[in-house]
Amino acid sequence: MTGALSKKIVLWAFVITVLVMLSAPTIVVLGASFTAGNMITFPPEGLSLKWYARIAGASDLRDAFLRSLYVATICTLIAVPAGTLAGIALAKYAVRFQKTVQIYLLLPFTIPLIGSGIGLMLVLGEARLLGQLWPVGVACCVINLPFMIWAVSASAASLDPDLELAAANCGAPPLSTFFHVTLPAVVPGVISGSLLMFILALNEFLVSLLLVDARIVTLPVLIYNSIRSIITPDLAAISVVFIACAAAAVFLLDRLVGLDIFLKSK
Amino acid sequence: MRAARTAYPLTWRIMDALEAFAAAVWPARFDRAIPWLMLAPALLLVGLLVLGLIQIADTSLRTLDTSTFLMSEEYTLANYNRALTESLFATVAMRSLVGSLIVTVITLILAFPYAYMMVRTSSAILRKLLLIALFLPFFIGQVVRAYGWLIILGNQGIVNEAFGLIGIEPLRLLYNYPAVLFGLVQYMLPFAVLMAAPALTAISEELELAAGSLGADWVRTFAYIVLPLARPGLIGAGIVVLTLSLTDFAMPAILGGGSQDFIANAIYDQFFRTSDQGLGSTLALLLVAIGSLLVGLLFTLFGAGTLAMNKVRR
Repeated sequence: MTGALSKKIVLWAFVITVLVMLSAPTIVVLGASFTAGNMITFPPEGLSLKWYARIAGASDLRDAFLRSLYVATICTLIAVPAGTLAGIALAKYAVRFQKTVQIYLLLPFTIPLIGSGIGLMLVLGEARLLGQLWPVGVACCVINLPFMIWAVSASAASLDPDLELAAANCGAPPLSTFFHVTLPAVVPGVISGSLLMFILALNEFLVSLLLVDARIVTLPVLIYNSIRSIITPDLAAISVVFIACAAAAVFLLDRLVGLDIFLKSK
Repeated sequence: MRAARTAYPLTWRIMDALEAFAAAVWPARFDRAIPWLMLAPALLLVGLLVLGLIQIADTSLRTLDTSTFLMSEEYTLANYNRALTESLFATVAMRSLVGSLIVTVITLILAFPYAYMMVRTSSAILRKLLLIALFLPFFIGQVVRAYGWLIILGNQGIVNEAFGLIGIEPLRLLYNYPAVLFGLVQYMLPFAVLMAAPALTAISEELELAAGSLGADWVRTFAYIVLPLARPGLIGAGIVVLTLSLTDFAMPAILGGGSQDFIANAIYDQFFRTSDQGLGSTLALLLVAIGSLLVGLLFTLFGAGTLAMNKVRR
């Protein structure tokens, strides 16, 4: 079975290469955050938690993180109702101009991020809304909205329309049918969609960079501005906050809907 | 009678009131509009982007008056003339196009075996591990990942320190073209694997076994069975990777250190360095056009792959 063996070796060589590429930055940032030295060196100069103590006391980092949380919350609060309703409507009803509507709703993915960001910046500038934080949340919602609609419409498509007819047949008025039959069926999609929206808005960089000014920088923008000047270990420590958030999101996603869902063929 | 009525749970009475309200403001003959009502918030949100594009188009037709720093009142095509003739922009555009093509090819080659292993492995633990390794960087964000590469590849970084230990002169690994491409490949891998995996799931394993029992070795099985059947997934992945890396900002900015600008960086510089909104808007609009043309061309050449709309609904 030399054939099977060589297949195994080649496949594993690729998989390990990709695993190393994907994980190396995360592991290195984690390691660098625990250094005892004032510089990031290899091998590290001993272990300490002093950089975590430093970022706990740094108000600019904390404020930037809170602003990122605020942006992500606004984004999710808008995306959940808008995306859920749109996803259900697309999966359940045969709308006129269905194709056009779908292409239109995919615009956030087909327009390059820099184009969307510049456009939103000009629009918000005209409306005198630049310099505030909530429009950044709205912008993050717009650019990632297709994720939410996809997640919900995939769930809604697997809902048997006969169930809703059965509910109506048992005397349930339209709103009751919606809240007791339709909505529970799409909950897995709503959960995975809103998780995606929250975490993507939390670490959204380019659109934030275009829409914020120096007074209201979000955490990814702050890190970007700092690594352009000097790389100190406190940045590694604050980056670990992102790694922790991402780990929590992966864990939740796996627990609530299962990561395997992304391997299913449509 | 009265006692029986209060015996209804509160939620029932609230629902009854809501139903009555809904029936009053939304008579059944308006039912055909319900899907549009449900779509309205999403349509409005995306409408902001359309407004943005209109605003960009408007700004792109105005030139910057360098004496007053105001945009001109009347429309002119001067910006388009500059964008298409100045060699700087041609260089940047070529760098981005060639770079994104290289990134797409490398990413697909790396992502395909990973997706194959993830789909085909019989070990649930290995599959979960591969999935977590994929999602974690996807959720961490570009800036932190680029920061990790700065630590690894910097002049005093891990790789160069390791080189020093075995007596190799430090190499300049950052702030060059390969560094940007490397960062982009790493950024794109999760997208590519997640786009390709569903297409691989759809291929029945018996087909591979059948090819094997007919005497094909695994290389031939891959070339004649797996790859052709996985084509929709690879095309979908290729389109996503190509457009995302063509228009990326963070990797060229951080790993290229200002010397390896892509189109997005050139646009950003026009807005925030030279403050020429007109020229910046022109470049942004041209990028939107190039991106759409490229996707349209690939669609007509290869079909829409897993991105096809009708596949989203059953």
